[in-house]
Amino acid sequence: MTTDYAISVNNVGKTYTSRDGQENVVLKGLDFHVNPGEFVSIVGQSGSGKTTLLNTISGLQEASEGEILIRGREISAALKDIGMVFQSPVLLPWRNNLDNVLLPLEFRDAVTSESKDHAMELLQMVGLGEKATRYSYELSGGMQQRVAICRALVSRPEILLMDEPFGALDAMTRDSMNFEIQRIWRRTGCSVLFVTHSISEAVWLADRVVVVGDRPGRIVADVKVDIERPRAKEHKFSENFASYVAEIESHIGVTAGIS
Amino acid sequence: MTTAPRIDTDAVRPVEPGPAPAAPPTASRLKPESFTAGIKAVVGLVGLFAIWELAVFIFDFPKYLLVGPISAFEELFTNPGYFAVNALTTLQEGLAGFALGTALGVLCGALLYYASFLRPFLYPALIAIDTIPKVALAPLFIVWFGFGFESKAFVAMAIAFFPLVINTFDGLNSVPHELQDLARINRASKLKKMMKIDFIYALPSIFTGAKISISLAVGGAVVGEFIAGSKGLGYVILLANSQVDLPSMFAAFIVLAAIALLLFFIIDLISKKLLPWKNYTK
Repeated sequence: MTTDYAISVNNVGKTYTSRDGQENVVLKGLDFHVNPGEFVSIVGQSGSGKTTLLNTISGLQEASEGEILIRGREISAALKDIGMVFQSPVLLPWRNNLDNVLLPLEFRDAVTSESKDHAMELLQMVGLGEKATRYSYELSGGMQQRVAICRALVSRPEILLMDEPFGALDAMTRDSMNFEIQRIWRRTGCSVLFVTHSISEAVWLADRVVVVGDRPGRIVADVKVDIERPRAKEHKFSENFASYVAEIESHIGVTAGIS
Repeated sequence: MTTAPRIDTDAVRPVEPGPAPAAPPTASRLKPESFTAGIKAVVGLVGLFAIWELAVFIFDFPKYLLVGPISAFEELFTNPGYFAVNALTTLQEGLAGFALGTALGVLCGALLYYASFLRPFLYPALIAIDTIPKVALAPLFIVWFGFGFESKAFVAMAIAFFPLVINTFDGLNSVPHELQDLARINRASKLKKMMKIDFIYALPSIFTGAKISISLAVGGAVVGEFIAGSKGLGYVILLANSQVDLPSMFAAFIVLAAIALLLFFIIDLISKKLLPWKNYTK
């Protein structure tokens, strides 16, 4: 019953062959699912292939083995269901924020007055309604990333892929962005796959945390996070929360150094 | 090193209240930085002329070796029409060559970037062409295009071309991969991606190439006039050379420099008007 899953990753592997014929196995035997409306975090050390995994799910890279189904269909048929947020906002500096949000629809020749209203609503949702006609260089890093999130949501995707979206932000902005993404996720109801190297961020946000191990990238744990929603800052200080973080840290194999 | 007794000029200088540096209200409307930058540029230029004139005066160079800016400007203002007509010729040739070189350069740079399978063939060939001194090509262009306007414009084009190839390619090549991914995820057509992202992203780099090329193009036109021709500042210099008329020669140099400077600033102005975000991101 794969069609019941938003994302279904079946025994996926990715191997690069270098010029001198050496094989570099980046991902091996990955097998997991994301339910509709579920928020799943992926954690792992840098170099563990998290981004490669996300790129194979978004269809930017092809898996060497296995298959990936988006709502039961092949990726090639499902691209329009996917919104993507990168680590850096990469907004176009010559476009104002509203036009930046509309860019994906322009690519698809799908800009209508209705979609413009929708883009405006999204900007209002992230608190940037008044900045719609301003330019990205007039915004802070956190605000720019909010515009990038709106850009990913403008095509009403059912699946939102986020690749360390808050990795470049300072700790305080990052906290407020975590609240923001929780709110956005609850309002849009889309499934989120959220790659991060911050374990506490992963736990606080997710219904489930998938831990990806190193060399080759493989799933070492799939931890269900049972903390009630909506989550508040206080949850970060609960015993429950700390035990989740400790459990995941033990899976990654580090005792310290990762927040 | 031991601490030598340091003369702290700030401490020695008596603290004077001095007149308040209140700018007049009109000055605040002008951009203060660009205003002072302009003044500094003029001061630098006047200083250069002063040193030049002074050197000629002190070392007492004979008139057939070096003349000062005063006699050059004298020459310029006694025959303004002569210099204007010839300057116009060189300007037209230079601009035509620049326009052609820019169009061709941007096209080649784009081809180099988009047709990646052609790159291993095209790139070495382009480098090979670029290693030929364009001055050496000038006689060939005279054979091909005659003694008139065209041959000079083509020499100018040949020189202006290469910086635009490189800068167009670099500009396109620097488009962040996230934007490429965004285009791919949304199934943007190649043309849409070019028009909405790539070329606008590459524009600042293309303008950098144009700024280099514009003065090269004027130089190219002069080289063409050296080889053959009866018009233009290159011809003026050659004629002055044969008559050992150094004031006329230096007057031509000054006009040439003025043309190149003017064109450079025009391009700079266009780029600032066209790419306002560049003023913020840099």
